[in-house]
Amino acid sequence: MMKVFYFSSLALIFFYVTAIARTPEAAPGIFPYQYQEQILDNGLKVILIPMDSPGLVAYYSIVRTGSRDEYEPGHTGFAHFFEHMMFRGTKKYPGSVYDKLMTEMGADANAYTSDDITCYHLNFAAEDLEKVMELESDRFQNLFYEEQAFKTEAGAVHGEYLKGLSSPYFLLSEKLMDTAFDVHTYKHTTIGFRQDIEAMPTMYDYSRSFFNRYYRPENVVLLIVGDINPATTMPLVQKYYGNWQKGYVPPQVPVEPEQQGERTASVTYNGQTLPILCIAYKSLAFDPQNIEMAACTLLGDLAFGETSDIYKKLVLNEQRVEFIAADFSSARDPQLLSIWTMIKAEGDIDNVKNEIYQTISYFQQNLVQDQKLADLKSRLKYSFLMGLETPDDVAGSLARFLALTGDIKSVDQLYATYDQVTPDHIRQVANKFLVQSKRTVVVLKGGQQ
Amino acid sequence: MSKLIYFIGVAVLCCLIIMNCHSSKGIKMVLLEVPSDPTISLAIWFKVGSQNDPAGKEGLAALTAAMLTEGSTVQNSYDQILEQLYPMAAGYSLSIDKEMTVIKGRIHKDNLEKYYQLFTQAILNPAFKPEDFDRIKSNIINYLEKTLRYANDEAFGKEVLYQTIFANTPYGHSEAGLIESVKAITLDDVKNFYQTHFTRDNVVIGIGGGFDRSLVRRLEKDLAGLSSGTPTPVPKPSPLPISGHQVVLVEKDTRSTAISIGFPIEVLRGDDDYYALWIANSWLGEHRNSSSHLYQVIRESRGMNYGDYSYIECFPMGWARQFPPANVGRRQQIFEIWIRPVQNEAAHFALRAAIRELQKLVDNGMTQEDFELTKKFLKKYYLHYAPTTEMRLGYKLDDEFYGIPDHLKKLPEMLDRLTLADVNAAIKKHLQYQNLQIAMITQNAETLKQALITNATSPMKYATPKPPEVLEEDKHIETYPLNIKPDNVKIFRVDEMFVR
Repeated sequence: MMKVFYFSSLALIFFYVTAIARTPEAAPGIFPYQYQEQILDNGLKVILIPMDSPGLVAYYSIVRTGSRDEYEPGHTGFAHFFEHMMFRGTKKYPGSVYDKLMTEMGADANAYTSDDITCYHLNFAAEDLEKVMELESDRFQNLFYEEQAFKTEAGAVHGEYLKGLSSPYFLLSEKLMDTAFDVHTYKHTTIGFRQDIEAMPTMYDYSRSFFNRYYRPENVVLLIVGDINPATTMPLVQKYYGNWQKGYVPPQVPVEPEQQGERTASVTYNGQTLPILCIAYKSLAFDPQNIEMAACTLLGDLAFGETSDIYKKLVLNEQRVEFIAADFSSARDPQLLSIWTMIKAEGDIDNVKNEIYQTISYFQQNLVQDQKLADLKSRLKYSFLMGLETPDDVAGSLARFLALTGDIKSVDQLYATYDQVTPDHIRQVANKFLVQSKRTVVVLKGGQQ
Repeated sequence: MSKLIYFIGVAVLCCLIIMNCHSSKGIKMVLLEVPSDPTISLAIWFKVGSQNDPAGKEGLAALTAAMLTEGSTVQNSYDQILEQLYPMAAGYSLSIDKEMTVIKGRIHKDNLEKYYQLFTQAILNPAFKPEDFDRIKSNIINYLEKTLRYANDEAFGKEVLYQTIFANTPYGHSEAGLIESVKAITLDDVKNFYQTHFTRDNVVIGIGGGFDRSLVRRLEKDLAGLSSGTPTPVPKPSPLPISGHQVVLVEKDTRSTAISIGFPIEVLRGDDDYYALWIANSWLGEHRNSSSHLYQVIRESRGMNYGDYSYIECFPMGWARQFPPANVGRRQQIFEIWIRPVQNEAAHFALRAAIRELQKLVDNGMTQEDFELTKKFLKKYYLHYAPTTEMRLGYKLDDEFYGIPDHLKKLPEMLDRLTLADVNAAIKKHLQYQNLQIAMITQNAETLKQALITNATSPMKYATPKPPEVLEEDKHIETYPLNIKPDNVKIFRVDEMFVR
């Protein structure tokens, strides 16, 4: 009964958001908006999503390059650094002019970088669409900066690194990735190794090469959402981006050999903190139609989410940990399924570790209840749909999908794959992936200050 | 431009068919009806905050509120609540500040009935179980002892600034409390505080989205089941005057220095001068925006750090949000400058650069060109403040707090009305650079103190070449005089913070 109730509710949500889309036709999958997609001759993929958002537009330039693409030694952190350089302008619109025009438009303009994506996003009034497109297409094709400006920006990146240093989670993540990976570029975090950040000012020539190889139309998805008319917007895209030259050179990202045994590491935090434990397992690449990958994502929440037995035991009843949570999502290449917990007593670390192993063992031997699985699928769908309120919400939700696959259909595909996951699949992936030989365990403890 | 006006017109006149406040049965209601919205936003505002914490029990308001949103009810244990919220992807959140506590929730209307039960039970029937109390209290103590002191120097610096400016006033401690005060709080304290402060005479009900009128009546009737009584009013805080440049240095083993600067201002949302300062402040330091002048001087030209901003209203968790939050209404605000961490050796220079820019603004005012550009910017930028029903409802509650009709509506109106002379007069009247409180989280505090009190030259050493105009300006910055007397510098260890 419960299951029927939730799914009928979901159907009503589909109806609502579809109804407010400009073309009110039934959508086939979970993604509720109609969209128009086109690939220009130069390979640039363009996705236009009109939605009822009077006067507002979200404009996302998604570069399918992140710290994963930093395969050359000594150049970690460059994707993120390059994100900064993109605000330095062109000969036609130098950085100061770009900033002034953005200011005049009252645009909310920013960018972020992670392992698989560099995303430039703007929110602005619909009347400014063409001006924004002119500016964005210009900097993606004609970025220009002097060596002096490049060196100055390296200082800002160093400042960003410094501000993150006080976080124990940053320190632990850095150690985790460095320990778990041998050759793949996921070995380093997005901000990069400290010595590489400090050497950035000397890498002006390399920065031009980075731009020339990765900032090419074949490697970018342009996503425009909001108060737009596709019939007039697509010709504008052609006008401003049509002459962008091809030339993408794929990175030579090394393939990580299969892990052969458990790895452990510890790290001391320069400050006070409760101990933090991270247990991670090698996983598989993001593929929205791969049922094992979908089952892994669900397993993380079922085993360690806030309605899991271990959460009730360790967080609520025995109160031995501040929190426990899992991140079992996937990346462009096989990465990590990770479980994180903050433990209240240092002497309890090994016991908590064993509780986690026992939980894994339980899911390896037993089938999860049908109702639990149905509740989780319902939660995922509601969570996705309720997060699509504004153009920026919609574009922000799609950005990572587009970076990982380049294909907006991957959203519908993933949720359709979730629907097919059974308790058997959950047990299978627990046995296949959550095994000792694929495991990395890192413990962070506070120092004395 | 015409499209922009169209947007405002649509937003205000069409989408929000009814936007009103009315009072019946003694409970104030703030309604924001958006019939096309398939979700319903609930915001239950109790007029209580950390200013109401009794002496020696600092943190009691926050701990009590958390017992409602993160604890069991008479009907359900906390894990049962989580189980029931889970498939709806729903929850309720807590916003607690000095004067406002708001319990918020958002749900699709199809799930309203089930959600409503859980949401109202949390407010009306908290179980106050000892095990929930122990868990929440332990988390708060860990936050104060470890997270706030060590894990985020920027948050640490801002908290030190506020606590110093508001020392010995009801605003003088973190919402989370003080360490030994939280330890001293008992479950009976929580129960009593709930009975006396979370009352039907002290609550405002906010509802937004596609709700039915029956929900209004039902919520009003149900919340009338809260106990009665009005808490003793807390006087508006009167921070002590700041004389000269006062400095608090917190010694910490760190490679970078977080800097916050501020002083109290007598301007609140709704005052005409507030909107004049809104324009001036946007030019000087728009939050997380390269249009910020401080950002241009310190980050863009010199690459010294990640960003530099200023504020005329409290802006908590600035590192995690782009736009001003709702429901942090306060009767006393400060003007604040936030310098994100700079390398320790550049701290003195960065401090000088920021105060020098403030002085230039105060002495010279804005130029006509900057004034026009900033107005143009804000006219569209403010549209991003509240794009959702939930956020607009938050602003409506703030209007109620400040006793003003419609802040979001007044913003563009004032942009049209204010002149450069108005703005520059407001700058002269409310901003100054002579009397400032400064907070710095840094290493080698004693060395920095000596440099500060002797006004030692603080030359910038760049790793990379800089243009001649920057180097020329640096000569003025590195010797810019600060007024820091030896007695006005206090050095603390980390473990001396957030204790009584």
